[in-house]
Amino acid sequence: MDLSELKQGIKQLIVDELDLRDRSPEDIDDAAPLFGEGLGLDSLDALQLAMAVEERYAVKIPEGEEAKAIFASVNALAAYIDAHALR
Amino acid sequence: MSGRERIAVTGVGIVSALGPDAAGTFRQICSGARGFSPVTLFDVTGQRSRIAAQVSGLSARDVAPAAEADVWSRSDALGVLAAAEALAHAGVATGADGLALSVGGTTGGMYEAEGVLAKMDGEAASDASVRRLLSYPLSTTAERISARLGPVRRAITLCSACSSGALAIVQGAAWLASRRAEYVLAGGTDGLCQLTYTGFNSLGAMDPQACRPFDGRRAGLSLGEGAGFLLLELESGARARGARVLAWLTGWSVQAEAHHITHPEPSGAVAACVIERALARAGRSPADVDYVNAHGTGTVHNDAMEARALQRALGPEIGRVFVSSSKGSIGHTLGAAGGIEAALTVLTLDAGRLPATGGLEVPDETLALRHVPAAGHEMSVRCALSNSFGFGGTGAVLVFEHRSAERQSAVATRQPEVVITGVSSFGPDGALVGVANAEYARPLGADAEPVVVPDPLALLEPAKSRRFDASSALVTLGAEQALADGAAPAAETGLVCGTAYGNVQRSVAFLRRVSERGPRLASPADFPHLVPSAPSGNASIYLGLTGPVTSVSDLGTSAEAAVELGISFIRSGLAERVIAGAAEPADPFIARVLSPLHVHKNAPARGQGAGWVLLESAPAAAHRGARVYARIATWIAEWSTPQAALRALPAPQGSDTERVLCANVDPELIAVLDESSWGRVARSEIAARAGEHEALGGVALACGAALVSNARSSAVLVCGLSRGRHYFALLVPPAVPDSR
Repeated sequence: MDLSELKQGIKQLIVDELDLRDRSPEDIDDAAPLFGEGLGLDSLDALQLAMAVEERYAVKIPEGEEAKAIFASVNALAAYIDAHALR
Repeated sequence: MSGRERIAVTGVGIVSALGPDAAGTFRQICSGARGFSPVTLFDVTGQRSRIAAQVSGLSARDVAPAAEADVWSRSDALGVLAAAEALAHAGVATGADGLALSVGGTTGGMYEAEGVLAKMDGEAASDASVRRLLSYPLSTTAERISARLGPVRRAITLCSACSSGALAIVQGAAWLASRRAEYVLAGGTDGLCQLTYTGFNSLGAMDPQACRPFDGRRAGLSLGEGAGFLLLELESGARARGARVLAWLTGWSVQAEAHHITHPEPSGAVAACVIERALARAGRSPADVDYVNAHGTGTVHNDAMEARALQRALGPEIGRVFVSSSKGSIGHTLGAAGGIEAALTVLTLDAGRLPATGGLEVPDETLALRHVPAAGHEMSVRCALSNSFGFGGTGAVLVFEHRSAERQSAVATRQPEVVITGVSSFGPDGALVGVANAEYARPLGADAEPVVVPDPLALLEPAKSRRFDASSALVTLGAEQALADGAAPAAETGLVCGTAYGNVQRSVAFLRRVSERGPRLASPADFPHLVPSAPSGNASIYLGLTGPVTSVSDLGTSAEAAVELGISFIRSGLAERVIAGAAEPADPFIARVLSPLHVHKNAPARGQGAGWVLLESAPAAAHRGARVYARIATWIAEWSTPQAALRALPAPQGSDTERVLCANVDPELIAVLDESSWGRVARSEIAARAGEHEALGGVALACGAALVSNARSSAVLVCGLSRGRHYFALLVPPAVPDSR
């Protein structure tokens, strides 16, 4: 899987699924934290993103602390999907 | 009649998973029984939880009259059974004069409708499918109860998510305090359905096993279904007829957190404030409280927040006060919970027996609560709280006292006049604020330029309005504009939002996705926006409204019902200011399927829009020097007949500046008006300009207030009628200020 293409897809997914109408995928920094500060996303957003990632990439996101590490940034999420996606 | 009176609870009714009546349910809970079993109403394959507190053996068909056997919902059947029990328990006759009805709920006929909705594309449906939708509007249960136990003088159906049942009881108290009812049946009803089950599952909010409120291992809630009603009456009435008083309802309060659509505000500060205000209204202090029937859902966050709120509000007394949650026994019954738990609290006071929390084995020590021992506890309870909190952030707390309690406080007899200090609307003339709303009294000219109506969502801040749908956008924009027009602060301002059907389009999309992709792919972020109170909750969070926030549902007079509630909130001292009105965006399911079931045949083409008035107590408006558009000289809300409603109206004075505004053009209303003294007065029909929809009453009131401001009209009679509901508001210019 092409990692930069994957990251671009993830960013588009974030903008669409979390209804970030005032942002574009280009506004999202690959390394910046997604939750808490940064985009101002909360745990409801995390649930939605987990569901959307599972649907789009056929990757199951675990719950709890593990999910926090996976959702740390676009980079972290892309690495997780890349490692776990069904080829 | 004594000027100072308490409100007596003289009857209770409950249907739950643990019993078909109140006494049976209470006995079962006290004995430690738990009502959870595998869900059989629908398929729960693939979900975190497989259980619910389902009312076994309940068939709506068996409760409904034969002619309606295939159209009643579970919520209808549960509500009728519990309300009938409360009425009979109080010894009040069916059809008693002066009976009013206040019903809280969230799901209505969703269980019966969801199979049809998931397959429906907004086009014409089969007759059989349409019959499944007859109970879809939340207000249907009130119609069923009125038909079985009434006719009632007036009824209201409200939804503030999981505090709905408690808020319905608050409204019942307000009607009694203003002497607008002799008896009130008040409570909540909610049947289980796939939408709520799948939704809470998608939020990860359900414990895979039966819920364990306040336990250190608690992992979420368990859903239930049921209904709970109280029969309320004034102390003088109960004494005069020799009724046995079960308990007194002496305190209540309602406030919105304005924090988050699903998360409770973690410090518990707002919830604590609601508890403190409810106690203050009762004239009681924490030292008087012996028991709390907690909201106690079993989710990590609710129980932690509630424990903090109780600690804040009760202070050191918290170490002495027993706490338990009924949800460990009968599940979270959502809109019914406030009604059921209020009834259980009354029975606790009456019996002197405290029920334990089902499923609580290893208490979470960090919560520092005094739990009722597992075997229950016998004690004479002087004063008890019943707590309810909901999605969107509206919390309601009720204070009940033992029947032998000395009177500390009583309902106020001097009730303030209500004035309109801000108006806004949204429709074919765009977003109108202030006196511009007078435009709706003029029919649209044939040569009128079509107006490009702005998208309301585009007028809101994107980061604060994520996931808003058209309903939430219309409500938020209208409330913001009415508030700004009245130059009023958001804090402590309430919001009552009328919606006849809730957001059907979005519910259909959610259900269809679950049906096609499976429950794992249900959208957790969409689910909290499907409850009928989501738009009012969203607006309160966006704007910081922290007064009482709720939605109401009353078919074509949903806006008028919102004003009824807003006026009640102000007159009973619950709020100084309330934004009230309704919003109906374009929704193909409402336009093609639901609305035709209820709108009269000669209605003009369907429109869309919203209308709002900022209601304010006259003293509060004067105190802050607010501009007053109009004074509500007479307000009538009747479920009897329009003739009876009109008889209570003062006659017109014969001035040529008087005016009648009809929200809709229902032929029955026009005929009744023509026969009355108001038949000679110049009349405008709002629907002729704005199109037919269920929020027209808000537009009519905004228009009427604009007309009487600056004395352009000497009086405006605003009329709304919809299938047996009759609302009239007589708006007059504000009194000339006293210049002393």
